[in-house]
Amino acid sequence: MNERVPRFLRWFCPPHLLEEIEGDLVQRHERDLVRHGASKARVRLCWSALGYLRPGIILRNSFTVRLFRMIMLQSYFTTATRNLLKSKVFSAINIFGLAVGLAACMLIFQFVSFEFSYDTFHEKLDRTYRVTNDRFQNGKLIQHGTIMYPTIGPTMAKDYAEVEAYTRMMPSGEANFKVSDKIFAGEQSIFADEHFFTAFSFKLISGDHLTCLKDPYSVVITEATALRYFGRSDTKYTEHLGTAIYLAGDSNPFKITGIAADTPANSHLQFSVLFSYSTAIAQDAGADNSWTWSDMRHYLVLKPGADYKALEAKFEDFSNRYFQGEKVSGSIEKFYLQPMKDAHLYSDYEYDIARTSDGRAVWAMSGIAIFILVLAWINYVNLTTSRAVVRAKEVGVRKVMGAVRSQLIGQFIVESLVVTLLALAVAVGIVAAVQGTFNQMIRSELTLASALTLLDGQAIIVLTVFFACGIILAGFYPAFVLSAYQPATVLKGKHQGSSGGRFLLKSLVVFQFVASTALIAGTLVVGKQLSFLNEADLGLNIHNTIILDPPQRTAWDSVYLDRIESFKHAVLQIEGVTKVTTSGRLPGQRLGRNFGIRPADRPSDKQYTLSVMPVDHDYIDAYGITIVAGRGFLASEATMKYEDLKTVLLNESAIRLLELGTPESAVGKVIVMGQQDKKWTVVGVVKDYHQESLHKPKEAIVFRPAYWNNSRASIKLKDNNFERVLPEIETAFNQHFPDNAFGYTILQDRYEFQYRDDRRFGQVIRIFTGLGLIISCLGLIGLSAHMAVQRTKEIGIRKVMGASLFSIVSLLTSGFMNLVIVAALVALPLAYLGVDNWLSGFAYRIELNWLMFIPPILIVVGVAAMTISAQVLKAALARPAETLKYE
Amino acid sequence: MPKEYLGEFEELVLTLVAALREDAYGAALAEEIDKKMGREVNLSAVHVTLYRLEDKGYVKSSFGGGTKERGGRRKRIYTVTSAGMAMLRAMKESRVELWKMVPQLKMNTKLG
Repeated sequence: MNERVPRFLRWFCPPHLLEEIEGDLVQRHERDLVRHGASKARVRLCWSALGYLRPGIILRNSFTVRLFRMIMLQSYFTTATRNLLKSKVFSAINIFGLAVGLAACMLIFQFVSFEFSYDTFHEKLDRTYRVTNDRFQNGKLIQHGTIMYPTIGPTMAKDYAEVEAYTRMMPSGEANFKVSDKIFAGEQSIFADEHFFTAFSFKLISGDHLTCLKDPYSVVITEATALRYFGRSDTKYTEHLGTAIYLAGDSNPFKITGIAADTPANSHLQFSVLFSYSTAIAQDAGADNSWTWSDMRHYLVLKPGADYKALEAKFEDFSNRYFQGEKVSGSIEKFYLQPMKDAHLYSDYEYDIARTSDGRAVWAMSGIAIFILVLAWINYVNLTTSRAVVRAKEVGVRKVMGAVRSQLIGQFIVESLVVTLLALAVAVGIVAAVQGTFNQMIRSELTLASALTLLDGQAIIVLTVFFACGIILAGFYPAFVLSAYQPATVLKGKHQGSSGGRFLLKSLVVFQFVASTALIAGTLVVGKQLSFLNEADLGLNIHNTIILDPPQRTAWDSVYLDRIESFKHAVLQIEGVTKVTTSGRLPGQRLGRNFGIRPADRPSDKQYTLSVMPVDHDYIDAYGITIVAGRGFLASEATMKYEDLKTVLLNESAIRLLELGTPESAVGKVIVMGQQDKKWTVVGVVKDYHQESLHKPKEAIVFRPAYWNNSRASIKLKDNNFERVLPEIETAFNQHFPDNAFGYTILQDRYEFQYRDDRRFGQVIRIFTGLGLIISCLGLIGLSAHMAVQRTKEIGIRKVMGASLFSIVSLLTSGFMNLVIVAALVALPLAYLGVDNWLSGFAYRIELNWLMFIPPILIVVGVAAMTISAQVLKAALARPAETLKYE
Repeated sequence: MPKEYLGEFEELVLTLVAALREDAYGAALAEEIDKKMGREVNLSAVHVTLYRLEDKGYVKSSFGGGTKERGGRRKRIYTVTSAGMAMLRAMKESRVELWKMVPQLKMNTKLG
């Protein structure tokens, strides 16, 4: 008989109603069969069955249950709101604490996600590698870099089938262009070969990506650059293809062959101008095949699925084949591959073309962000649980009225959800308010929205899970604790928190203060190191110094030397100027290296590497570098002919490296340096000084005289009143070097730039330490308030028994202080390890000693004492008559 | 608590449930409405009304025995709860009250 009932009824009818309905339908059908006949009865049956297609039937299964839940949910929200409003101060502390934590986390998250997003716009990122190169001489590592010979890329591509494409490039410093009549200085420029736009995913707005960098004297400029040069507001850049622009010091015109989209901010390669590689080798026919000219950076794109480690293993053979030990380049060459995705954060290479950040600092900041958030959540748990006494009666009454545990848990979860959402809203507000300041501090243009778009799927999942877990855990613990109360105990009115619960509360507070103390200790040590960097004796004077942009457009002709000397003389006449010098490199700049230096009296099979500092004869004196033996360069030795330059100075490290004995004995020795074994006489030895930041060890340096139009003038002043002298300097500059753009920088700013990551780290850690401390204190306020309520009667009885105010205060305080001190003791070893790790990034650093960790303890103890004092005093001052009258 | 409202059809079904007692189930109720009131109703209307009355607490249900004519399926027998009974009574009383206010034929004859 089953088959008589239409099957479709089962599709929508809730199963528990089906039997009854089908039964009734069949029964009615039997009746209809008799009355109306088979066919009509069949129609009536279908019609009746169709009648069940109505909400009252279909939704009966779930709807009533859902309706009930909805009503309860509404009630949860009402209760949650009432509870929040009932104790406004407590709710405010709770929400604010969480909001601060979330806001801090969001800010760091923006920064961190930006740092991790570097180069992700490259389509072939996962199979693009930088070739890196270590050079060894006399068994010692002399260079750990990314620069090598022009032949590396093409040869590797030829020898190894795994290589799909290669590209090579060489930074060419700040280019200076003349477009029509205007001069544009300071373009960040790179020589790049024609594979550049194939290997990378930089966008080309106009021009052909295969050929735009092929011919000599081709130049590709970015959109922003084009905008400056041609002042267009539309995007019809195509018209400018083929336009000639003139580079300083080169009479040949450069032809614009492409306009590229601006380099994304999260690219490790930054440029505004690209010259074709063929331009760089145009002057020297043999350059392209050189195995000794090491200025090229190489990137390889491997075929999909190729194992880069396996390819790297073949490089030893490669090195033997082409470099034959030290024979070809004067050093043993080792090649490696670095995945391009690591280029930004995990590079420690010399002469790096990449914009790099310290990956450890980025990870440390992520760690701090998570730390702060966990602190905030702990705080939330702590504060909520500490309200247990107040809420215990409510729970008891609800249970007596028939609430089951799951409903109570639901209620508390909804409450924590409401608090979390409110905190989230406040946090977004805080982020919006401080975004500007934060961006200024870390020197970037971040927004929460942009940070979110940078995320990939995996990161989104991790973050969502993290946040969800946090919210659920923070909500669940109080929910479970509170919902577990037995009505019989709590309603008797003698409820005290369980000892297990109190232990947890205490350990959470300890954890908070461990974190705070560690952060404070970290901040103090980082601050000490930063001021050490500031105050360290560099061995030369970088203060009050103006650096002029080089007069590159002035021809390098026979009168250039007179011109520059006359300019120096003119500047010296200006009131406030004490010294003037010109040099090829500046303090704080990476020096070039020469790999084939040796004392002239020794065999040529053992060579040495020195950093080369090209300076004029006033440099040593102007920068106050100490001469330990011999003399400095003489004005009379100045000459424009390279062949006539014959004198050098060495620093102490250099004479040690070359084994020239004492400074005195080194003076007068002859060394071989440069092409055709050019001989130079050592005329003096100077004291070692810090050429670069204190991250780097002092290096062995050879000073050689250098006069050219690419040198920058350093102008030393007697004070830092730069504005007063600059107009006069500009006048003198324009007189001596017409047709050049006057530009200047302050040396100290340049030098400081080396520490920008460190300072940023210092600022970030300082701010977040403050936040961590605030959040911990909020937690302590909650705990002390809780305690004050719980111990009211005890204090009352103590006072009746004759306890003094002081003894009660010390009794109450000591409980908390023990926690804080335990926390401090746990924190110190952690802080020590963390800080020591950070300091290991500096070649010159402050020494850690245990005394440095006393101030953090004092700070934490002091702040904690102040935080609890209000509650403690309130409890201690309460009159026993008041507190005990209900007994 | 606001006074519950009972619709016309709901009242009819509820009354019949009370009347039919052990025999009050979907098909029987529909049959009875057909027989007593001359109203051909869709079975689904009866069922939905029964469920609604059950939600309101005026009837409760339990499974009765299956019969051969139902293909062995069990009936769901509905019985009126005391709340349902009270509701019926209250409605009847209010109807009577209202009815008393209506001018009766008797009065007309008196006047005439």
